[in-house]
Amino acid sequence: MAEFAGYDMPLWYTSIIEEHLAVRNNTGIFDVSHMGRITVKGREAGALTEALVPTRSSSQPVGRSFYTLLLNSRGGIVDDLIIIKKAEDDYLFVVNAANKTKDLEQMERLSRQYNVLLDDITDTTTMIAIQGPAASLALQDFTAQRLTEIKRFNHVLSKIGGSSATITRTGYTGEDGFEIILYDSGIENNALAMSVWNDLANKTRPCGLGARDSLRIEAGLPLYGSDIDDSTNPIEADLSWVISREKTGYVGGEVLANLLNIQPRKLRRGVLLQDKIPRHGFSVNNEVGENIGHVTSGTYSPILKKGIALVYVNTPYSTIGQPVRVVVRDAEVGAVIIKPPFYDVKSYGWKREVATSIPSSPQ
Amino acid sequence: MSSRYRVPDNLYYTKEHEWARSLDGTVVVGVTDYAAKTLNDVVYVSLPSVGQNIQQSISFGTIESIKAVSELYSPFSGTILQVNSELSSRPELVNKSPYEEGWIIEIKPVNIEKEKQVLLDSKQYLELLGSLAGR
Repeated sequence: MAEFAGYDMPLWYTSIIEEHLAVRNNTGIFDVSHMGRITVKGREAGALTEALVPTRSSSQPVGRSFYTLLLNSRGGIVDDLIIIKKAEDDYLFVVNAANKTKDLEQMERLSRQYNVLLDDITDTTTMIAIQGPAASLALQDFTAQRLTEIKRFNHVLSKIGGSSATITRTGYTGEDGFEIILYDSGIENNALAMSVWNDLANKTRPCGLGARDSLRIEAGLPLYGSDIDDSTNPIEADLSWVISREKTGYVGGEVLANLLNIQPRKLRRGVLLQDKIPRHGFSVNNEVGENIGHVTSGTYSPILKKGIALVYVNTPYSTIGQPVRVVVRDAEVGAVIIKPPFYDVKSYGWKREVATSIPSSPQ
Repeated sequence: MSSRYRVPDNLYYTKEHEWARSLDGTVVVGVTDYAAKTLNDVVYVSLPSVGQNIQQSISFGTIESIKAVSELYSPFSGTILQVNSELSSRPELVNKSPYEEGWIIEIKPVNIEKEKQVLLDSKQYLELLGSLAGR
C-alpha cells in the first residue's frame, strides 16, 4: 500500500505488468474514489465555469465530459480536470486529490460574484474506473443503460448496481472505458460500492496505482505534480488544444493570449529509449552532450518492452524523430523524440481499428 | 516464525535482501523472494562484466521494476566468474525463481570466512522480515 494524497492505495494487486496488459487487452478496474468531486450548481454555474477554464464550456453540449485546466493569473496550471456538464445549471468537476483544496479556494473566491452553490461531494460518493476494450461488456451487467450508446467524452445519469450513478465514457489509460460515480455510497456507507467493486473484480482485474501510472505514461497523459504544475503553462505542456480561440475573461486568459503568439521555450514530448528505464529528473542531452531537457515521468512500457518517458525539451529539439540522449545514472542512452501515445493507435487505445471481443472472464 | 516469503536454509543473506550460496569454492548471488515480491515485476537487471572485481556491501549493479530501481549489494568480495545473461531477455526469472533460475552473478570469493560473519543466516533473515512486516 502507498499513501497518496491522504489515501492508502495499493501500488499493485498482483503484478503491474499483468494489470497493465489486462487493460490494454481486456478490462481492468481502478478504485479512483480519491479523485476530488465538486459540484457547481445554480443559475450562473455556466458563467462561473466560463470564468474558471480556458475551454469555452458554454459551447460544450449538456452530456459532455470534457478535459480542461484551472490556471493561475500567470497562466500556470493549477490543476487538470474533467468537467461533467450534467445540465446548464449543474456541473461536476473531477479534480486531482492533492489539488482539491487549492482548486476549491480558487473556485470559491470567484464564485462570490455568481449565483452558484459549490459542494465537495468526494466523501459521500464513490468513483470506480472500468478501462479496456472489453469495458462495456464487463460493466453492462450492472446497468439497464445501453453502454455502447454513450459516446466517448459523454456521460449519462443512470443506475449501477442499485445506486444512482453518473456513467462517463472517459479514463486515464488511453483505452475505451467508463468512470462511474456512485451517489448512494460514500465513506460512511460503502457497502453498496464494495459490492459493485467485488462483483466487478470477479469479472475483471483490479489494478493499482502502478498500472495506472504506466498506462497513462504509455498514453502520453500528464500527471499533475510530475509533468505539469503551477509553473508550467498549457502551451509548453502541449495542452494548448484545451484553449478555445478568441476566448477571454477567464483566470490566466490575458497571459495565455500573449503566450499563444510566441514560440514556447520548451515543449512536452515523449521519448523512446533504446535501452534502460528513464526516471523522473533524469537529464535529456543532445548528441554532443549538452543538456536540453529533463524527464518528468518515466517507466517501462509493457507494450513496447522499452523504457519510455514524458520529457520537456528545448523547442528546437522537439521535432518528432529528433535523436536525443537520456542520462541514466552517468551513462547516455540513445533515444528518440516521439509524440505520444507510445503504442500503435491502430492496435491499442480507444481509437483502435479492430474492436477486440475478448470475453470478460478473469484470466 | 512463519513468513509469506520463501527463505531457504543454508544460504547467506544481506540486510539489503541479497542471498549467497557457497558451493565448491564459488558463490552464487541473487535477490531474495522478499526483494522480488517487493519490487514487483522486474523488467531490467544491469549486470557487471565477467572478470570484474567487486567488494562486499558495495553496489555491483541495479535491478529495476516498473516503479523502482534498487542497487544490488554483493554479499562477498571477489571476482565475477559468470553473470546470468538470460536475465537480459527474461528479467522476470527473478520473480519466478529468485533462488534458482533468477540467480544474478557467480563470484570467486577472496575472504569468505571473515566476510560471512557479517551476513545473516536464514533464521536471522526471517527475523529481519518479521520486523519489516511490523512496521
